[in-house]
Amino acid sequence: MSFTNRRNFLKAGVLSSAVVIMSGCSVFGITTTRNTIKVLENDLFPKANELGIDTADYISIILRHPRVTQEDKRFLKNGAKWLNETSVEMFQKQYTKLSFEKRQLILKNITSTEWGNSWCSTVLGYTFEAAFGDPIYGGNNKEAGWKWLAFEGGKPRPTEVYL
Amino acid sequence: MYDVCIIGSGAGGSPIAYELSNAGFKVVVLEKGKLYDESTFNKDEIAVCRRDMFTPPLGEQKHIINEYSPSGKITRYDGEKSGWSFWNGSMVGGSSNLMSGYFHRMKPNDFKLLSAYGKIKGANVVDWCISYETLEPYYEKVEKVIGVSGKIVKHKYQEPRSTPDFPYPMLETNGVTKWFDVACEKLKFTPIPTPRAILSMNALGRNGCYYSNFCGSYGCASGAKGSARAALLQKCKAKVITDAFVYKLDAKDGKVVRAHYYTKHKIPHMINAKIFVLSAQAIESSRLLLNSKSKEFPNGLANSSGELGKNLIFSAGGSGSGRFIFEKLTKEQQKELMQAGLFFNRSLQGWYEYTDGGKTYKGGTIDFLFEHQNLISRVNREIYDDEGNLLWGDKLAEKIDKTLTTSRVLTFEVFNDWLPTDHCNVAVDEKETDMWGVPVGVINLNSHPQDLEVGEYLAKHAVEVLKQMGAVEIDSSISSSPPPNLVAGGCRFGNDPKTSVLDKNCKAHDLDNLYVTDASFMPTGGSVPYTWTIYANSFRVADIIKKELLLV
Repeated sequence: MSFTNRRNFLKAGVLSSAVVIMSGCSVFGITTTRNTIKVLENDLFPKANELGIDTADYISIILRHPRVTQEDKRFLKNGAKWLNETSVEMFQKQYTKLSFEKRQLILKNITSTEWGNSWCSTVLGYTFEAAFGDPIYGGNNKEAGWKWLAFEGGKPRPTEVYL
Repeated sequence: MYDVCIIGSGAGGSPIAYELSNAGFKVVVLEKGKLYDESTFNKDEIAVCRRDMFTPPLGEQKHIINEYSPSGKITRYDGEKSGWSFWNGSMVGGSSNLMSGYFHRMKPNDFKLLSAYGKIKGANVVDWCISYETLEPYYEKVEKVIGVSGKIVKHKYQEPRSTPDFPYPMLETNGVTKWFDVACEKLKFTPIPTPRAILSMNALGRNGCYYSNFCGSYGCASGAKGSARAALLQKCKAKVITDAFVYKLDAKDGKVVRAHYYTKHKIPHMINAKIFVLSAQAIESSRLLLNSKSKEFPNGLANSSGELGKNLIFSAGGSGSGRFIFEKLTKEQQKELMQAGLFFNRSLQGWYEYTDGGKTYKGGTIDFLFEHQNLISRVNREIYDDEGNLLWGDKLAEKIDKTLTTSRVLTFEVFNDWLPTDHCNVAVDEKETDMWGVPVGVINLNSHPQDLEVGEYLAKHAVEVLKQMGAVEIDSSISSSPPPNLVAGGCRFGNDPKTSVLDKNCKAHDLDNLYVTDASFMPTGGSVPYTWTIYANSFRVADIIKKELLLV
């Protein structure tokens, strides 16, 4: 199924932070966008974890940010659902419960699809915001992301999070 | 009653506010956006560049965009659905707060494109109804009042000046500019230190530049950047009302009598004044006049000619880049390359006019600058390998590390004429409305084939310089995509009321007290960024309005 069709199909769906994973016509399980993306972020960009940066909480900011469109929020949530459904199809388990090697196979699979490539690059974009944005947003712990790249943040720095 | 009501607080409106309020007149400025100033500006990449905090959300305010292809096919884009935004800085001082401040004057021939270069098939090229000589004193005034720093270098297309040099010395530059100058010498090109609307020293009651490394797209926290707010509105007593979206002008007996505006909570207000000055930026100024139709003006205010909204132009051209990598540099050069904060500030204008195939063309300007230092954006550019496959894991981290810590990109921007055509204009949509229920602007886009030819010609020379400097991964992209921050036209000025909206004083032919002073008045745009010319023209019109008010 193409990214566009899948995206459009799910536009009309009822959405919540709970992600219902379907296997065929049956409900396979329930997880949350945050849990799925937390594991995925570490697979896509483990350097953040090495630097002591937690990028997972930042997704919660994005999911409630008024400047992020509803369509983009839906895409984030739907991608988590499709990722898990692909995991179930390939290995009969949710993504978060698979071994590292199997998760890599899933990533190879989905990044060869239009939706998967687009979704992973979107997640990476938000991961980078957390890792390389101002530490006031909760990521980039002690400017570790900046220090890694010998980058000095612009001044003045923000004194509050822009929500 | 106010003497003058100005709609829009950017580079087109603020000189009027500054001059007239300082002359003792009662001036009010209506600004749709909020007030940000030196105390509130910061360098938060997420807020400013990722969440677009200074522009309206497209779900609340958008445009409809119709793109004309050379085959005549029209593709319609809904700004909200496509994410295509034509907004700039919605704030006191407008987008001048966020500009990089690359300041070049237009050249004398830019004022007489038709006479100097002849007719161009498919383009509505005309001469301006004023000359360079008329505007020159006001260009000089901008240098002093807004604050322009630089150094005059003699070159073939240096425009005449009434003063020998800029009032403020050049900003400090990165060591790589020396490589640029050497390369240009070998190629027999003349490098020009780029004039900037940035104070290089404390002056005019403002602080000098502190080389934050984050200039363009960001507000300036020192006041060094010559924004309309820092340089003018904060230096005068004009009353600025924020959160005031003007949606209609009422006219009676050949005069505008009041402006209607909404707050963001849709509370309606109105203001009366003797004189109205419209400067909401080109697209929105035409939209407001088109939305202000009445029995007396059934086709829109000031539109008896039918020319309102027509001949919208942008800056044509594009950009390119080359990368300098550590492997090809000495230790000393590596250090120079990575020096943060200092500007590059070099321009080329050697092909402002050129002959190709026996024909003389109006050319343009090339500005060179380092790639924007926004870190998230730079990291994001590394997620694909050379074959276009998405990278992740250690491979991705290695690529980011190597690219960002052992190389740096020098970019160039090409500015040439976006020729005015019949299919590039502003209208209003019959169905789509904004958050206030007001019909949104329609932007009809079309570019002339010559725009691309000239842009390519200029980019070729920029690429030569990058090659001579030893850059790798050299790339250039000249396209017909319109830069939303470089827009003009729609209310063309001219001497004939049948073919222009404004007279030579930028007053509407149809009304006794309505002036338009953003870039809308420009029949052609020159081959430079517009801001200096907008400022200069607005100071010129301020003198005209002052005289008129003194006569009343």
